[in-house]
Amino acid sequence: MSHIAVVAQDIATAAAPSSAARPSVVSLSGITKSFGPTLANAGIDLSVGAGDVIGLVGGNGAGKSTLMRILCGSMWPTLGSISFAGEDVAFSGYDTGEAQRRGIRMVHQELSLCANLSVAENFFLETPSDSASRPGWRALYSTRARAALDAVFPGNGIDTDAEVGHLTIAERQMVEIARAAATPGVKLIVLDEPTSSLDLDRSKQLRAFIRERAKAGLAFIFISHKLQEIIDIATEVVVLRNGRTAWQGRAAEASIGKLVQLMGGDANPVHQHAVAAASSEDVLVRLSGPLTAELGRDIDIMRGEIVGLAGLEGSGQKELLHAIFIPGRKQHGAVTRHADAGFISGDRQKEGVFPLWSVLSNISIGALARRPALGVVSDRDTASRAASRLRLDDRRFQSNITELSGGNQQKALVARALVADTPVILLDDPTRGVDIATKQDFYRLCNEVARGGRALVWHTTEDAELLACDRVLVFSGGRIVKELAGEAITEQAIVGASFAQSTDRQASTTRNRTAAARLGRRLVNAAPFIGLAAVLAIMIAINPAVASTFGLDLLLMPALSLVLVTAAQMFIVGGSEIDLGVGAFAGLVSVLSATLLYDQPWLGALALAAAVAAYAGLGGVIQARKIPAIVVTLGASFIWMGIGYALQPTPGGASPDWLSAPFNWSLGFVPTSIVLIAAVALIVLVIDRLPLGVVLRGFGNNPAAMIRSGWSPPRYALVRYLIAGLFAAAAGLSLTAINTASDINSGNSYTLLSVAAVVMGGCSLLGGIISPVGAVAGAVTLSLIGALLGTLSVSSDYNAATQGLILIALLTLRSLTADRRSEP
Amino acid sequence: MNALAGFGIWAQRNRWIWSAIGVLVLWLVLSVVTSRFSLSSLSGVILSASFLTVVGIGQMFVVTTGRGNIDLSVASVITLSAFVALLTVKGQDANLAIGVLAAILLGLAVGALNSLLVVGLGIPAIIATLATGYVLATATLLSNRAIPGFAVSPALKDLATGRISGVPIMAIIAIIGVAATAFVLRYTVFGQLLSAVGQNRAAARLAGIRNGPIIASAFVISSVLASLDGLLLGAYIGGAFLEMGQPYLLQSIAAVVLGGTLIFGGSATALGTLFASILLILIVTTMQIIGLPPGAQDIVQGIVVIFVLALAGRQALARRASVELADGDKDPMANTEAHAAAARPE
Repeated sequence: MSHIAVVAQDIATAAAPSSAARPSVVSLSGITKSFGPTLANAGIDLSVGAGDVIGLVGGNGAGKSTLMRILCGSMWPTLGSISFAGEDVAFSGYDTGEAQRRGIRMVHQELSLCANLSVAENFFLETPSDSASRPGWRALYSTRARAALDAVFPGNGIDTDAEVGHLTIAERQMVEIARAAATPGVKLIVLDEPTSSLDLDRSKQLRAFIRERAKAGLAFIFISHKLQEIIDIATEVVVLRNGRTAWQGRAAEASIGKLVQLMGGDANPVHQHAVAAASSEDVLVRLSGPLTAELGRDIDIMRGEIVGLAGLEGSGQKELLHAIFIPGRKQHGAVTRHADAGFISGDRQKEGVFPLWSVLSNISIGALARRPALGVVSDRDTASRAASRLRLDDRRFQSNITELSGGNQQKALVARALVADTPVILLDDPTRGVDIATKQDFYRLCNEVARGGRALVWHTTEDAELLACDRVLVFSGGRIVKELAGEAITEQAIVGASFAQSTDRQASTTRNRTAAARLGRRLVNAAPFIGLAAVLAIMIAINPAVASTFGLDLLLMPALSLVLVTAAQMFIVGGSEIDLGVGAFAGLVSVLSATLLYDQPWLGALALAAAVAAYAGLGGVIQARKIPAIVVTLGASFIWMGIGYALQPTPGGASPDWLSAPFNWSLGFVPTSIVLIAAVALIVLVIDRLPLGVVLRGFGNNPAAMIRSGWSPPRYALVRYLIAGLFAAAAGLSLTAINTASDINSGNSYTLLSVAAVVMGGCSLLGGIISPVGAVAGAVTLSLIGALLGTLSVSSDYNAATQGLILIALLTLRSLTADRRSEP
Repeated sequence: MNALAGFGIWAQRNRWIWSAIGVLVLWLVLSVVTSRFSLSSLSGVILSASFLTVVGIGQMFVVTTGRGNIDLSVASVITLSAFVALLTVKGQDANLAIGVLAAILLGLAVGALNSLLVVGLGIPAIIATLATGYVLATATLLSNRAIPGFAVSPALKDLATGRISGVPIMAIIAIIGVAATAFVLRYTVFGQLLSAVGQNRAAARLAGIRNGPIIASAFVISSVLASLDGLLLGAYIGGAFLEMGQPYLLQSIAAVVLGGTLIFGGSATALGTLFASILLILIVTTMQIIGLPPGAQDIVQGIVVIFVLALAGRQALARRASVELADGDKDPMANTEAHAAAARPE
């Protein structure tokens, strides 16, 4: 009651100067959002006028993200209304697309760019409408990106044609901000922690830009933990706490001290235990080295205590938990653990539950994991006992874990750690999404566990929870900057310590790849060309006749079919799938063209069209049912083969004259095969350079970002398979034309070779990369291996092994030179 | 009605029942429609199915490790093993022990190679086993040239083709193998850990399971079983020929999926693989009886696989989240961080 009155009063005082002449952009009123019994937002009003810069602050869990999701249409509130320039809009028809149409753009904290695309292409994905399929569209977007970047960050030096993946985190952040700012018709930009990875200069540039654009009427919502920035840039500040507006007023009336006070300091909602003397002085974990450098001494974690890890999210708390769980490797000797550790993650779905199992199995795995693998699973009494301590209803032991509420699932995970009986228990934000009542249970339980002689290390994003800890280590920029103990643990002290040290340390931790790894990667990328050159050189050296037009044609014409199949496979791999039926499909098309198409052209053409449609449909099925492409396409390969056999049990048929014609002309001096192979590479290159190709690669790399920008996954799955089907069909036709007959088995070997060629060519099996020239070179190299072995008078028996070993060697090199940026 | 609902719930936990029902129905239909079908012809079907079951069980272990893992090298292992058997046993019972040892060693070697590539180097299982298959193909070609002749040891021949009171010995072997596998999966620590790893790799790691050895052992089991199967299959057909293992590639995967083992991993049923093997062989036999061309048999098998997968896709949809997370295994921090930001109301 009282704070609402305060808010009303503040609004009244703030309203007069700020919103007098300015038209309203968007206004949220009475926004309430509940997640079960938790209120993430409770009756929040927020009005944004043209030219406003609203600084939105609040501790972790205060409700900022929920409010912004509602504003941007990615979440509907339980109660409340939204209006644009005075016009009420129903939430039922309000989604991300509608928000974008109405001029709201959000720059997310987790970046939503496609790392495999260039800066310009990422600009295209966001505003595709006025692009053209005209040639030179890339230059258009490049210019636009250049202008947008320079407008916000003068002198940024970012190459708009560079791949986003090659940019530093700060540069990506700059691109994303510029992209949002440059959107035509944008009225409000929400910046979520925009300066977290920017250095001071860039941050100043951004603020200067905001000031300038705000004068021109563009509105901003600026979310930041760096309070001095908020005070510097904002015209108005909104402080959220526990889902409510704690304060709203002009920035001039705010100070860092005041904001910190407003954000923290709830009256102790957590059960605070009496600080019991540690049962014994056993040191279970010792932290030292650079981690504790700022404290100037080591930190020992004892038996019987709860140690909280605090700080802004992503300041190194999670990393410490993982380092304690698996010590060694990264932070040499920074963490030493003297006893076994168990881990309880708050991300239950991703890191906690085994979704196929009962509650009981989910608990008892904790004990099983530490037993010899060949042992027999015995009674599960210990699991039941552990679970009953958690007040888990034992009638539910047999039900599936996913039927339990989040809080009860979390209890089961604690029970798992208890049966594992490890002296150290690590908790990673365990009460995330857990209702209040269960939380209290949970705190009590943890307290009990600690008093029982274990050490709990607790990372939480809810500062209030830290009050229950015996000690709190406050993190900033990956290091422990403060240790609080006993009475000194207050929310204000924690918030103060995390903010006080919030400098721009992160900006410096960008890429530091070793030169050797880079050289290795270059070598791997050049492999298909080096390989091709080497193979040709050896063959010409041994048999100079190879170098003639006729000799090359003889060698390379058979490679054409593999090149086409490789092109097909490349589009599938570009979507991070693999087609194990593409060779069989080419074989089927070959049979169709040598039989039906030869005898009854119309029927044949119809059958070919139907085959390609069926192939594209397969892609639709895979996408719609989310089933593994490998198995589906393997199954499909049997269908293609079966149809082929049924049509033509033994090799035979004939090639229609018009089909053979394209393969039988000659320029005289240039081998026909080389022209055709180059043409295929060119076609793939053109498709890939078209906006369509960019979209396909975007989906291969970051489907979530694509959906966020408004692209449809099923449509592009169909398109992807349609393109692949057309290339595979072309491969089938080429088989018929080159062999002047058909054999359903003729395409089989191409399936595996095409995967090898694609990998050799530099495409990642994770998707998103199309490299036509490399893959074509790879395909030609692989198809020449047989001839090479023949020239070297090695038995053709070694053909397959050579191809297999090349594939293994390449993948091994890849794996060894890949970025190892994120090893736990 | 209630009983039906009860059965539905029971069948959800015992997915093997569907393939068992399939076998029963198809066999009944065949017995009624064609007078040619009898118990003795069923035993012939079961004999053929036994060879498929053995590979299928191995494949099942690999599929259960999750992440869409599949062992594509089984076909090459079967073929090579049959040739190695010819080379080592040379038709003499006296050499049988050496032959069995060679088969096991071959399986161990291939399994170890696959594990090294998949677990050690992080190469996707399909590609790694594909490449291994290539290398084995050459080894097969070489041993094809080296074999002294197509003599099969009589004892081995008895084992592969013989019957004890009308029941094929191979079927007994397969059934014992299935029973043992079912026990391992259900009642041993290894079985539970395998399921855990297949369901949720990140959770398994945080629960204290060492994922690497578990996944590696699945690949080793698959290769060893395929190798032993090749030895027996060679004895059954009385020799070896190139590509003899090829049909077992799709069929083994089909048997696993059809039997009710989840393609995304985490849940395996040995009994289901057994019944699905019989069902697949029965389907092929039926088509032969009807007189469909060989092509049609392939088509039907392909359609069965895709159809079953598409049906099971709904289950997969629900589990999608946990599968995707498995991809973040290598990168727990970055991923959880991003997810934390995306998934939780602040």
